[in-house]
Amino acid sequence: MARLPKEVRSWIYDFFSNERFAAYLKIDARQCIEAKGGNLEHYGLTSLGTGEPVAGQLEIMEGLLPCPELPFHMPMMELPGGRVADLHFFGDDGSVWLVFLDATAERDHQQRLQQKAYEMTLLQERERQLNAKLQATNEALRESQEGLSREYRRAESLLLNILPASIAERLKADEQIADNHAEVSVLFADIVSFTERARSVGAVTTLAILNYFFKAADLLSEQHGCEKIKTIGDCVMVVAGLPTARSDHAQALAHYALELREAARRERFAGEPLSLRIGIHSGPIVAGVIGKRRFVYDLWGDTVNLAARIQRAAEPDEIRISDGTHKLLGPNFACEPLEETELRGTGRVRMWRLLA
Amino acid sequence: MLQKKICMLGGFAVGKTSLVRRFVQSIFSENYLTTVGVKIDKKSVAFPDKTVDLILWDLAGEDDIGSFRVSYVRGATGLVLVVDGTRPATLGVALTLRERCEAEFGAMPFILLFNKSDLTDRWAISDGEIDELKQRGWQVYLTSALSGEHVEEAFRQLASMVAK
Repeated sequence: MARLPKEVRSWIYDFFSNERFAAYLKIDARQCIEAKGGNLEHYGLTSLGTGEPVAGQLEIMEGLLPCPELPFHMPMMELPGGRVADLHFFGDDGSVWLVFLDATAERDHQQRLQQKAYEMTLLQERERQLNAKLQATNEALRESQEGLSREYRRAESLLLNILPASIAERLKADEQIADNHAEVSVLFADIVSFTERARSVGAVTTLAILNYFFKAADLLSEQHGCEKIKTIGDCVMVVAGLPTARSDHAQALAHYALELREAARRERFAGEPLSLRIGIHSGPIVAGVIGKRRFVYDLWGDTVNLAARIQRAAEPDEIRISDGTHKLLGPNFACEPLEETELRGTGRVRMWRLLA
Repeated sequence: MLQKKICMLGGFAVGKTSLVRRFVQSIFSENYLTTVGVKIDKKSVAFPDKTVDLILWDLAGEDDIGSFRVSYVRGATGLVLVVDGTRPATLGVALTLRERCEAEFGAMPFILLFNKSDLTDRWAISDGEIDELKQRGWQVYLTSALSGEHVEEAFRQLASMVAK
């Protein structure tokens, strides 16, 4: 490289000396300060003592010497006083020169740029993390929603087992359910001498009897569009004309009664067929759901009470119906009149025997 | 006088400067100010039989390991490897920086800090991973420059290691 003219050399000297606050230390082979000079004040280093070990006075020098690779450059070191210096080391016959050039402005500028870049990178990393978290949360949410709707379907099917579908719907809509029904028919049926029989055949057969009877009652309810309301011991209560009104409720329940009796006769338990006592009455009732956590759909009214009493008055294998029900049945059913009988709480009642 | 040069190594924004400030000045700032170049601090650690002056070199963090100036580490007798416990990738950065230093200057004592332990809801390092590193015989600490948790303890451990 061509030697620079005196003017340029002089400008470079002035530039580094004045603009970049050049300062120097000369460190001897014993790692003591041999000489110092330049703008040391700028770096707050005027108190360094010559002839003493450098590392004890200038902490940055700890471990750095002897330095096998000279010249050596350590950029942008923030000194205890707050100034930032580029440190240049170069060797000279066993001694090391250490030159300080101010880099505060350059460091600050680079720091601003770097800060922006890192903040941007951090934000992007955070965004990725949050997105991943969001995705995981969404996934978990979807799974719990699926679980919830499985639970809901299960609860719904349980509800449908104990309540008529239209009532269950209204219940889910938080409706209070208490309805007057002007015309329905109510049936009670139980097994003749059930208690005695249960005692003689044992628990397993007793359960089989009840299971058979109630299953038949359920199945026929579906077939005839009736509703099984409840079972009380060995007695079943069934209604027609509910929850949707129908004009042929008496006929439907009469068919139901005939087939239920038939079903009971068909099956034998411990050699004996089942014999039923069945009673039917027609009239107005009130229907509703009671209970808060365990729902019960039930019917109330004189019609219900009378139907129960008629049933209790019936002979084994007899389907006994009230006069009111008989009037509704019309000509398609064979019935024979019974003598007027005194029923508890109602006085003398005219009843019929349904034959076919 | 026992004076030891220690270098803080790790990815950017893992908390190297904050750990030094917590250890030396017992303060913490929420503001993030990236370090460019290097800043030096000193702290004496007293033991019953001796006192060690730690000269802490707080080096600029890296997102690009290739640009790391290993020459700053010359003369160091111990390393503080800092990982951000909410950013798993910074573990790899810290371990790679240690490899670079050892390749240049040979093995030296170090401690491994999983910093930001106060950020529990964003924590991303499993206990199993930490146990595995401990089983290598490494000195591993979960630190928080914010609360100061385990900071003093970790630096004392390193001071006793480099003073041997």
